[in-house]
Amino acid sequence: MALTGAAAVWASFQDVQFLALVLAATLTGILVGALPGLSSSMATALLLPFTIYLQPIEAIAVLSALYCAGTFGGSITAILINAPGAPPAAATAFDGYPMAKNGEAGRALGMAAVASSLGGIFSLITLILAAPALAKIAYAFGPPEYFALAVFGLSMLASISGEMAVKNLIGGALGVLISTIGVDLTTGVERFTFGSPHLYEGVHFIPVLIGLFAMTELYEQAGKHKPNYERIRLSAMRLPSRADFRRVWATILRSSGIGTFVGILPAEGGTVAAMIGYNEAKRWSPNKQNFGKGEIEGVAGPEAANNAATGGAMVPTLALGIPGSATAAVILGGLQMHGLRPGPYLFEEQPALLYAIFAAMLLANVAFLALGLVGAKGFSRVSLIPRQFLWPSVFVLCLIGAYGLRHSMADVWIMMVAGVVGVFLRRHGFSPAPIVMGLVLGKLLENSFAQSMIIFDHAAAGFLQRPIALLFFALALCGLFFTPTVRLLRAIFSKSNPGKRS
Amino acid sequence: MKNTAKSIDSGRRGFLIAGAGMTAMLAWPPGRAGAADFPSGPIEVVTHAGLGGGTDTTARMLLIRTRRNLKVDAVVNPKTGGGGRVAMSYVKNRPADGHTVMAITPTHLFTMAQGRAPLGIDDIKGVVRSTDDPIVVMVRGDSPLRTMEDLVAAGKQTPIKWGTTQIGGVDHVAAATFGKEAGTQIAVVPFEGGGEIVTNLMGGNIQAAGLNVTEAKDQLERGDFRALVSLTEKRMRSLPDTPSAGEKGVNAFFSTVRGIVVLNDVPEERVQILEAAMLKAMKHKTYQGYLTGNGLDADSIAGAEVWDRQIRRMYADARRALLDLGMVKQ
Repeated sequence: MALTGAAAVWASFQDVQFLALVLAATLTGILVGALPGLSSSMATALLLPFTIYLQPIEAIAVLSALYCAGTFGGSITAILINAPGAPPAAATAFDGYPMAKNGEAGRALGMAAVASSLGGIFSLITLILAAPALAKIAYAFGPPEYFALAVFGLSMLASISGEMAVKNLIGGALGVLISTIGVDLTTGVERFTFGSPHLYEGVHFIPVLIGLFAMTELYEQAGKHKPNYERIRLSAMRLPSRADFRRVWATILRSSGIGTFVGILPAEGGTVAAMIGYNEAKRWSPNKQNFGKGEIEGVAGPEAANNAATGGAMVPTLALGIPGSATAAVILGGLQMHGLRPGPYLFEEQPALLYAIFAAMLLANVAFLALGLVGAKGFSRVSLIPRQFLWPSVFVLCLIGAYGLRHSMADVWIMMVAGVVGVFLRRHGFSPAPIVMGLVLGKLLENSFAQSMIIFDHAAAGFLQRPIALLFFALALCGLFFTPTVRLLRAIFSKSNPGKRS
Repeated sequence: MKNTAKSIDSGRRGFLIAGAGMTAMLAWPPGRAGAADFPSGPIEVVTHAGLGGGTDTTARMLLIRTRRNLKVDAVVNPKTGGGGRVAMSYVKNRPADGHTVMAITPTHLFTMAQGRAPLGIDDIKGVVRSTDDPIVVMVRGDSPLRTMEDLVAAGKQTPIKWGTTQIGGVDHVAAATFGKEAGTQIAVVPFEGGGEIVTNLMGGNIQAAGLNVTEAKDQLERGDFRALVSLTEKRMRSLPDTPSAGEKGVNAFFSTVRGIVVLNDVPEERVQILEAAMLKAMKHKTYQGYLTGNGLDADSIAGAEVWDRQIRRMYADARRALLDLGMVKQ
């Protein structure tokens, strides 16, 4: 199995068209990732309709490579101009930019590239081992299990992103609400369509995602003065020295594990992984006081974690059809668009697909390291592209992206409305990812519940006889109440011990 | 005659195959009456589904040779949404000159039967049938329900958990009609698509399902699934050992069909020209290869007479079943 897999991966590398596509996707990914305001979720969503012209396997490989490279690309601008090119790189700026200011831009970038690459490769190995295993268990996943999984996925919106918990839950609920638009699967009744045939099949998440991510950013940028970034001069990117490696290997390994795990959790992607990776790097480091002032472990920590999250996020996406992150949701949309149904049958019917994705992501992880070493200086200049050229181009891509999915003008209007709504949501501190997740998981949540109830002869107690479902319900409860409980205990504890504060 | 039409969207695959060196194509028999002025421009096939799906692919495969036979270009125009309503209202507002045709599926007929389509069954007439994929009642290979009679008997005790797609759609109505005609109880569990039904039948979450042979070809071959009865009048060529509903005396015949229709006002001789060109296209090995690759056979193809009768019968069956289910009012 492992041997045939390796052979399949090797065969992919010998396919020139495949190689060229993946390398082009990697390059695009780095550039898009490096552009402040453009993230990998956006890039994959905008390029999705164009992949219809590719073979399904090539299309998914391109999107996956874009995902990996986009996650790395964000670190270039985070380090050089203190403006993370994409949200997952936000934590990289904490120490990357101070390092650059201290004249160590090359060292910071080199570390970011190597840590990203290692984190990505670590998670890919997990993907290739875990996804088929998970897919085998997925045969045991019926509607009750999927319902529990969807509940768990939505509860994750509250648990990890600490302070934003309530707003994330509200955003998730809004997404679920939007998912109820259209004809209901189990009753055949039209809901919230106002008689419009364009809403009959519901609101697809891709136009909403393009609107919330890209159009919102565009509106925001339109209202801004040209940002004045302080640009740090970069001589050359340097591979980390042996001393640097000795210093960070534990951090990279830890962050790879964290990133992969966080990535696997439904709905949580690279941004959260990077934050946890950074915090844990700081907690375990002997040089704690250096963090924030230009500590190289503070670059390695988040970068290994956010790229490890890419492979992790693909695990539930491919094995169960539950997206592990917003970008993975787009890739899921891509699979569906090409008539591929994620889940256990995917590996039986399309064994080549998993290996092609693996090959593409592996190649992307190695390629961005090489490309980064050669061209970091060039990539950092993408932020110099005049905004009057950049954003109108993005606008055109938004329109094509929304239209191209189903050839429907209604989707274009949905995208525009989502963009305007997104501006207001953003001003009030809501982030777009939970809404998209709610929209993706909402249909599953409702349908699997209705299916379960028919299977259980309308007795909800039937859920109690499904151990896997119970496990996910328990995890969801932990997710929802863990942070508040800890906070409560801490409050009680600190009251009883006044004066003893850290 | 020169091909004056511009190639708007010949489709990559069509382009490649058409360009693959197949020369010496026959021309229209010259001097045929009414053929001189039709078709005078590109043929537009309106579909209701996105690119790359079954309906889109079937239409494109059909057009590869139809283009040559008609000596004009032919394009697919996807008008998605509303269970075919968007496509139907588009076609309704096109001139009834035969240059606009519509690819339909049971979805269109059921939307009509539910009384919410912009076109009625009398507004359209059939040209050709392009695929015919009957619904077959299947259970898991190790199921204690070994025959249709076992299933009927078991359902009389407790309703059979039966996987279908959308409520109000062809799968649901097929299940309900089968239950009524065979005298058994069925509890319908709706899923998003055939793939999901297959997984859940495999996982034992449902007891039976009405599936197309194309959807469960591998499972049937491996013995994971057992076919109990096909909802056809006669036995299917691809399932010679599976009894048909017709021979069991169960009056429930349903199939996932695809075909081409035009507006009723299109002149009869133009319909005949389209029919002849498309039938010829589908008898070519390009299209036949597509059919066999998908587990279908030459029986899929039918001309205007058979196809028109079939869509009218399916509409009537759908209408009656939906009335029985209380999903539409008289």
